[in-house]
Amino acid sequence: MSDYDAIVVGAGNAGSAAAITMASKGLSVLLVDRSDPPGTKNLSGGVLWGNDLAKILPKWQSEAPLERFIQDKKIGFLTEKSSIIIDFKTKIFEENKVGHTVLRSKFDPWLAKKAREAGATVIPGITVESLVKKDGKIIGVEESGDVVTSNVVVLAEGINPRLAIEAGLRPPLQDWEVSVGVKEIIKLSPQKIEDRFNLSSTSGLASEYIMGNLGELNAGAFFYTNKDSISLGIVAPMERLRENGVTHTYDIIEQFKEHPSIAPLIDGGTVAEYGAHMIPEGGLEMVPQLFGDGYMIVGDSAGFGFSNGLVLQGMNYAFLSGILAGEAAVEAKSRNDFSSSSLSTYKRKLDNSYVLKDLRTFKDIRKVTNNKSMYTTYPKMLESILLEMLWERGQPKKKVREILGSCAADLNVGKLKTATDFYYMYRRM
Amino acid sequence: MLKIAVMIKQVPDSQDISIDPVTKTLNRSMARNVVNPPDVNATEAAIQLKDRYGGEITVITMGPPMADTALLQLMGMGADNGVLVTDRVFAGADTWPTGFTLASVADFLGGFDVIFCGEETTDSSTGHVGPGIAEFLDYEQATYVHKVEYENGFLIVVRDIEGAEETIKIGTPAVLTITLNANEPRNPTLKRKIDAYKKGIRLVTNKELQLDPACIGLKGSPTIVKDMKTVPDPIKNPSKPTIEELDKVVSVLIEKGVVK
Repeated sequence: MSDYDAIVVGAGNAGSAAAITMASKGLSVLLVDRSDPPGTKNLSGGVLWGNDLAKILPKWQSEAPLERFIQDKKIGFLTEKSSIIIDFKTKIFEENKVGHTVLRSKFDPWLAKKAREAGATVIPGITVESLVKKDGKIIGVEESGDVVTSNVVVLAEGINPRLAIEAGLRPPLQDWEVSVGVKEIIKLSPQKIEDRFNLSSTSGLASEYIMGNLGELNAGAFFYTNKDSISLGIVAPMERLRENGVTHTYDIIEQFKEHPSIAPLIDGGTVAEYGAHMIPEGGLEMVPQLFGDGYMIVGDSAGFGFSNGLVLQGMNYAFLSGILAGEAAVEAKSRNDFSSSSLSTYKRKLDNSYVLKDLRTFKDIRKVTNNKSMYTTYPKMLESILLEMLWERGQPKKKVREILGSCAADLNVGKLKTATDFYYMYRRM
Repeated sequence: MLKIAVMIKQVPDSQDISIDPVTKTLNRSMARNVVNPPDVNATEAAIQLKDRYGGEITVITMGPPMADTALLQLMGMGADNGVLVTDRVFAGADTWPTGFTLASVADFLGGFDVIFCGEETTDSSTGHVGPGIAEFLDYEQATYVHKVEYENGFLIVVRDIEGAEETIKIGTPAVLTITLNANEPRNPTLKRKIDAYKKGIRLVTNKELQLDPACIGLKGSPTIVKDMKTVPDPIKNPSKPTIEELDKVVSVLIEKGVVK
């Protein structure tokens, strides 16, 4: 007889969602997290899309510690001297209020508290040392020489899943599978934020950029408004950083903060916190075997995230994978069978959800996001086109076709290369 | 078998506290709560005493309901019971009613052979409460202790005094206040934390204690804070060393064989 029906390792979005799903259906659940209060070591860029969270916590919009709902979404390119931005501000976001900025150090303890209220035993401040295997089946966890057993272990360890790797459930992380995110929280008064970004006391802004001023680092950046602070940061593929060697992530975030379009936005702010985190960007190729005898892998540990250079999402994939693993455990409990074949319903649920559907649809996206031209040539090209079209210099005007031709010549890119790049972008994005 | 208590407090993590330059008050909004660091040393000292001489340890705190996590952490280290003294009427207490209330709780729980406290809290640094408890209970006391032995009903303790140590023998029951870094506290374990969670925390309110409202909380506090000032950092603009100076330092280190 096991101590618990389920042990969940890690109180992040995936782990707590799994714990809530299982505990609210009467399973005995142990949720263990290394930090105290639970989840306070977790880090995200900071935009949460809550459609999935609503399935387990329908009142999340009024109860959760949220910062601002996303009313204004911007995406664009930065070059050394310019910014080219699409500003999408819509009443539709305001009517639905599904996207919110969050600070994980506040949000995650709240979510873990919800798991406790649902009936889970939540133990913070403990780092599980290893998984316990018996006859090829995962039967529990070990810490300080003590073994705690369960019918199923849900691995929600985050991006670098040490337990899963050590137990041979997935290979160690490879450079190509991850990006490095570096983030700062900059304190700014609500008054300044609302004036500067044309926001109300509850609405917020979320911007994401392709950093065209950093050469072949293929770096992106984000800028989100909280109640009384700004979350900003950069994201760069580990492979590019390693290859580049000299540029440190803290230099890149400085370059972002000093950009002529960004610096005025944070003027007068003070850095309150900073952090770094890896982000799963390996797509379908990095997804491991997701279940087996006595275990399931969820959230970042499973490589669930979406990135196409301009959109970066992970928290919603975490919630949904956690919920689906929870449902699979509840069904396994009703059959009293926690074998690999019984837990395979988790994979089937994922197959039918947007989690694996998205990863399949965009399985070739890395060929676009890895394309160095996306971060070097094309932002410059856009800048040149806009300069030609929007800057009156007393010169005869050109047709777009001619502008394109001369820009391509200036930047030394072949028309064929550009045509193929855009064709693949069109096909893969 | 020794009946042991540890009096502890949850404090904002001092690393996360800043002073608002305008209002001159402590800004705790970014701070997470931790167990007052010397209280962790006090708990470790209590567990070591129990390990050698046998006993039962009760950790006690006065604070808001969320302070239960502090008790669970210390029970995870090896304390047996947790008692949370929580009631709105206790709020706003300075060191006098805090000592009085905790002493009353110890009495309410049947008294103890040894009560451990941290030497002081990091959020107010008075060091009053431990000795206060001893006085209210009329127990023996020893402050700034970093080593504890037990022998035939007596405690032999080593105290830190300015530039020296003092070994004294005192009777029981006694209150000992333990210095920061007196020992190396063990980590809580998963199994013990689960057991603590299952056992739960005993809540004590003034309904049980029936203390005179004039002697507790803000009403019972004789301290009045008249003013609070921020003191400017004495090292305002530390000059950065020059390359030449750094070279000199390095060459001295090489000369002395510290680095190669």
